[in-house]
Amino acid sequence: MGTKKERVHPDCVKAAIVAAAIVAVLSMGFGMARAQGQEVKIGVIYPLSGPVAHAGNMSKDAVSLCADYVNNKWPDLPIPIGNWEGIPGLNGAKIKLIFADHRGEPDRGADLAKKLIIDEKVVGICGCYHSSVTKTVSTVCERHKIPMINPESTSPVLTKRGYQWFFRATPHDRIFVRDFFEFLGLLHQGKVPGVKAVPKSELRTIGACTENTEWGAGTRDVIKEFAKQYGYEIVSDVTYPHESPDLTAEVRRLLAPKPDILMFASYISDAILLTKTMKEFKAKAKVFWSQDVGFYQPKYIETFGNDTEGILNRTVFSKKLFAVKPVAKNINVEFKKRSGVDFMGTSARAFTGMQAWAYVLNEAGSTDPEAIRKTAETIEIPGKDLIVPWKGIKFEDVGGETNQNTWSSGLIVQYQAQEPEIIYPLDVATAKFVYPWPGLK
Amino acid sequence: MRTLRDAFSFGDLPLVERIGFAIFIMFCTLFPWVTKGSFDQAVMIQFLIFCLYGLGWNLIGGYGGQVALGQAKNVGMSAYTVALLMVWWDIPFWLSTPLGVVVATIESFVLGYFLFRLRGHYFAIATIAVSLVWQQLFINWDLIGGARGVELPLKETPNFLYMQFASPIYYHYFAFLLVLAAILYMNWFRKSRLGYQLRSITSNEEVAESLGINAHWVKVKAYCITGVFAGMGGAFYTVYYNYIDPFSVMHLELSVMIALMTMIGGAGSMWGPIIGAMILIPLDRYLGAWLGGSGIIGVDFMIYALMVMIISAYEPKGIWGIIEKVRARR
Repeated sequence: MGTKKERVHPDCVKAAIVAAAIVAVLSMGFGMARAQGQEVKIGVIYPLSGPVAHAGNMSKDAVSLCADYVNNKWPDLPIPIGNWEGIPGLNGAKIKLIFADHRGEPDRGADLAKKLIIDEKVVGICGCYHSSVTKTVSTVCERHKIPMINPESTSPVLTKRGYQWFFRATPHDRIFVRDFFEFLGLLHQGKVPGVKAVPKSELRTIGACTENTEWGAGTRDVIKEFAKQYGYEIVSDVTYPHESPDLTAEVRRLLAPKPDILMFASYISDAILLTKTMKEFKAKAKVFWSQDVGFYQPKYIETFGNDTEGILNRTVFSKKLFAVKPVAKNINVEFKKRSGVDFMGTSARAFTGMQAWAYVLNEAGSTDPEAIRKTAETIEIPGKDLIVPWKGIKFEDVGGETNQNTWSSGLIVQYQAQEPEIIYPLDVATAKFVYPWPGLK
Repeated sequence: MRTLRDAFSFGDLPLVERIGFAIFIMFCTLFPWVTKGSFDQAVMIQFLIFCLYGLGWNLIGGYGGQVALGQAKNVGMSAYTVALLMVWWDIPFWLSTPLGVVVATIESFVLGYFLFRLRGHYFAIATIAVSLVWQQLFINWDLIGGARGVELPLKETPNFLYMQFASPIYYHYFAFLLVLAAILYMNWFRKSRLGYQLRSITSNEEVAESLGINAHWVKVKAYCITGVFAGMGGAFYTVYYNYIDPFSVMHLELSVMIALMTMIGGAGSMWGPIIGAMILIPLDRYLGAWLGGSGIIGVDFMIYALMVMIISAYEPKGIWGIIEKVRARR
């Protein structure tokens, strides 16, 4: 077929052989096995760089602190892990965390999960903050039959896929949004301390503003569903591109119909930009509620100070819990010493997720993935051992969901003098509800 | 027959290029067997996916000299077609992929037909704009999952029909075969009538037209072929990661990365996209993995950016330009 047969020069053949040898040696170098000691490796995947690095690094600090509690004796800590020196059920094996940075990219997360599972030989995975990344990482875990405990991703879909190796500790967005509408119901009935019954005609319209990734889109769907179910009207429904450089048009559209209730789902950089833009518009409404995350981070309070007054957040943690949960106060002191900030919703859940890992490994008494999975399916971690105000941790299959922690629950907090006061559930409320929201001046 | 001969014949290339190609084939063939690292294999598969994207973009962006910055939309079109056909009607990969590629190609044709009336910067801006519009449409289109994306149902592995495997080795060889096919196509293309026409348009469009070449039509054809390559890559991405969303497969960053990678390697040269992918993909992935989890935040971005700047400043024609210069000196 060729126009002319060419003789390959012997030097070229030699060069090709040498090159092939170099390629083979280099390739082998990539896959060198790593030695294992008396430790249990857990892979932790978080966004450690990029726009939500702040949340990722707080979670990293939280899981590291939990591992430290498990690995070393802390006599002053009034929960079982304080007395551990390693995992008792595994003959004192220490937890070794291997961190990976997914930058908020689902495909990078999946590749890193493979690295942790196959190359690092971790017994399980913890993470990943973004619901979209949790999706791909949990798929890798499911394929490789490695357990994954997810402390903080709240997209309802995650536990509706029938995955057997995926366990979610946090309540999800459906639960959080439902809590808020039930709170509104109590407000109408006049049962919320500090406020007389608010007639439904006064609090009837909703302006929803959600970012446009997996998490925001999921929240938006649930808001629409519950608004309809509870008889509210959505007058503005704004979605905006995550990490947008300008949100003026979106804020204008959100505020134009003058909604009574503002509902948000935003990551930190977006939450800051949204609030700054709304401040320019002197935004007013009667209730301002957000889905934790961006609006419930130390950086947010630092940036806006007194402008945060009256903003409601769904969360699972507040410093105000210290009064009823001394263990949370105790652990928070150490956390603040190391990371410079108090626990917030995300970091508290990360700590709890790692704590769940420690309890599961201890009870399983084995690093065999199947044994760990079976233990996770049956374990009951009492609420008194946790820093979050839950009944505890129990992964169950209910209502079409698989391995969702049915003992978890949410809180609604309100910033009052820059402190997150608990408003709901009413039995643990630490302050009277400030109504209406003072607005942004 | 002549087409096949042209595709498989590399005789006109200098010996060093042929040896380089042989090493590349050997490297890709042996890689899964000599490395046990799954992350290395994942990086390798990423590299092969980007080779495919880059080889396709090189056709319009390199040989054609058109700065098209919207290839991600073709990746996304095909990825979504494949994913939705698999989720809605359980159509196997082997049937849904051709349909995905056809959708990506048709989109390229329609768009190319109109956009190639523009030139230079206007064309580049138009491709970016259209790409962003498509992405926003997909983000807000609830029927196809919107921002939540589409997740393929897990099947028992190994499953050849739906391309679901626990071991990356299957994905590796499939991606490698796609890249090989793309290289053979490009080898044919550069000797084909279309290839010569496209290069003549790049050199001087007016002169080419005076010789009877329908520049508009040639560019549209080349753009469609670019769409085929992107479509194949998108289909493969879908089954490899089992999940797609508009941010992974339709993001402007992906379009820029494909173009950047090809330019760094050497746009308009046969091996430029492969060289570019060989540098940028491992650099990005390994730096991210090594430094991202170590607490040295952001250093990986800095090193990556520095490398790109040094190469761009030293030789605007990319690595291939440096190789050509060295060869010319001898």
